[in-house]
Amino acid sequence: MKIKLDNVSFSYNEEKVISNLNLEIESSSITAIIGHNGSGKSTLAKLIVGLLEPKKGTIYLDDQVLNEDSIKIFRNKMGIIFQNPDNQFVGVTVKDDIAFGLENKNIEREEMIQKIHKYLKLVGMEEYIEESPENLSGGQKQRVAIAGALSMECELLILDESTSMLDPLGTKEVGETIKKIKNEDNKTIIIITHDLEEARLADRVIVLNKGKIVKDGTPKEVFSDENILINSGLKTMDSVKIINDLKNVDYKNKKEIEAALWELTFKM
Amino acid sequence: MNDIALGQYVHKNSIIHSLDPRTKFICLLILMISIFLIPSPADYNPKISFIILGGFALIILIVVILTKISPLKYLKSLMQVIFIVSFVFIVQMLSKPSDETSLLDLNIKVSIIKIIIILTVFVLFFVFRKFLHYKLILFITLLVLSTYFLTIDFGKNLFKETPILHIYKYGLYKGAFFSLRILLVIMLSTVMTLTTKPTDLTNAIEWLLHPLTFIKLNVSIFAMMISLALRFIPTLFNEANKILKSQASRGADFKEGHLKDQIFQMVALLIPMFVVSYKRAEDLADAMEARGYIPGERRTKLNILRFKFSDYLTFILCVGIITGIILLRVL
Repeated sequence: MKIKLDNVSFSYNEEKVISNLNLEIESSSITAIIGHNGSGKSTLAKLIVGLLEPKKGTIYLDDQVLNEDSIKIFRNKMGIIFQNPDNQFVGVTVKDDIAFGLENKNIEREEMIQKIHKYLKLVGMEEYIEESPENLSGGQKQRVAIAGALSMECELLILDESTSMLDPLGTKEVGETIKKIKNEDNKTIIIITHDLEEARLADRVIVLNKGKIVKDGTPKEVFSDENILINSGLKTMDSVKIINDLKNVDYKNKKEIEAALWELTFKM
Repeated sequence: MNDIALGQYVHKNSIIHSLDPRTKFICLLILMISIFLIPSPADYNPKISFIILGGFALIILIVVILTKISPLKYLKSLMQVIFIVSFVFIVQMLSKPSDETSLLDLNIKVSIIKIIIILTVFVLFFVFRKFLHYKLILFITLLVLSTYFLTIDFGKNLFKETPILHIYKYGLYKGAFFSLRILLVIMLSTVMTLTTKPTDLTNAIEWLLHPLTFIKLNVSIFAMMISLALRFIPTLFNEANKILKSQASRGADFKEGHLKDQIFQMVALLIPMFVVSYKRAEDLADAMEARGYIPGERRTKLNILRFKFSDYLTFILCVGIITGIILLRVL
C-alpha cells in the first residue's frame, strides 16, 4: 500500500504534535520511523490508520484520499500493533483473538479456521491456539497480535513501539517474526520505534522530532549521523560510535574495519 | 484476588466442557431454582429434605469429577463465601422455630475476668494474625471456645438473671440446610465459569436475549460488553495486585490501622486503578476500531453454537429434576 501525507498537521488541544508533514512511503517497503517519546511517532501511526483525523492536510492511501467514507474500505487492508500487548488482546483465547478481526470482516467460519492456523504457524504460535492471554509472555502476545493483523491479509502493517514493553527475549521473538514477514510477504511495513536495533530491519529510516522530519535516508545514512540522533533524543549504536571515532584516527586498515563494523551492525 | 473464579476458564477435554453453553446456562438456572425449591426441614420431613439436598450434592460432585478440573479450584471459590455461610448457619441455629423445646441451653455467665480473658485472646489474635496460618479456622475455634468459656463458672457473675442461649434441633437442621444450599449454588456457578469460555457464555447470553431485538435493543453490543468485561477481569485483578504491591512497598498498609486509615489507603489503590483502566479502555477501543469493529454491524462467528444429543439429554434430566421437586412440593 502506497502512503502519501500532504502537508499534514495534528494537535491535541493547543499542543501541536505533527507539523506540516510531507511524506511518501512506497508500497512493499519497510520504513522505520524513529524519535524520542513525544516526537509524534504514535500520532503519525494513528493518523495513517485513520484512528485520528488530521487538523490540516490530506492523507492518501493508494492515491485515494483517506476520509470517513474510504476508511471502511482501507481498514480491512491495514493492521496496527500497539505498544501494550495486553490492551489489544480482545479474545479470551489466542484463537478467539485472531478470529475477532476476521469476524468483523465477515469471513466464513471454515475460512476463518484455516487462516487462524496458517498465521499462527507463521508466527510460531500454533501450539498456543487454546491458550488464554494470561498464560502468554509479552512477546507471545505481540506475535498473536501480528498473526491477527496478518490474518486480515492487510497490505499495510504498522508496528507502533511493539517491543518497547518486552524483555530481550520478547523483543527477539518479535524481531524474528518481522524478518519472516519481510522475507515471505510483500507488505508495506512501518516500524515505529525509538530503538535503533529494531530500526535496522528497515530499508528506510525517518527521524521525527517535534512532529517534523529531521532526517530521511537508509539505515546506514541515518545511523552514522550522530548529531541528528543525539539532537533528536536518541541513543546512538555502539558500533556506529566506534565507526565515527575511527574516522578521526589514522589507521592502515581503516576501510576494512569500518566495513566489518557496518556488517556487524546490520547482522541480526 | 487470584481466587476469583469468574473469567478463569480452565481448558479440559471433558463432557461438561463440550456441552453447549446455552444448555449449561439454562441448566444452571433450572438447578439453582430446584435447589431453592427443596422444602426446608422446618416445614417438611427433615430426613427427606436432607436426602434431596444430598442427592443434589451427589449430582454436583459427579459433575465436578466429570469436569476433570482440580477440586482445589472449586474449594477456592467455596472459601470466598465461607464467612456468609458461617453467618447463615449461626443465625439459623439460634433462630427459634415455633413451638419447639430447645436441644441445648447455654447459660451465659458473664464475669469481668472472663471478659478480660476473651478480649485479650481476640486482641492477641488480631495483633498476630499476620503471622498466623489458617486464620479462619482459628477464628471460628476461638469463637466456639469463647462461647463455651462463657458457660462455665469462673469469677463473679455480673447478671442477676443468667441469660440463656438456646440451640434448637430444627435450628441446627435449618442452619445446615441453608448453608449447604448456598454451597451447592456456588459450586454450580463455579462449574459454569470454569468450564465455559467467556466467549461461549456471551454467545449463549446473546442467544437467550435475542427476543429483545424485537423491541429494537442491540443485543450484540450488550454481548460484546459482557465479553470484554469477562476478558479483562483477570487482567485488572493482576493490575490491582501490582498496584497493591507497589503501594505497599512505599509504606501503604491496606490491612492494618483504623477503618478511616484503611479507607484512605484504598484511595491509593483506586486512583491508579481508574487511571490504568481508563487508559486500557482507550487503547482497547483503538485496537478494536483498527481491527474493523463497528458496533452493531453484522459479524460472522467462529464459535457457532449447536445443540448435540448430550445437550438434549442434560436438558431433559434437569427438567426432570425440577418437575420432581415441584411435584414433591405440590403433592
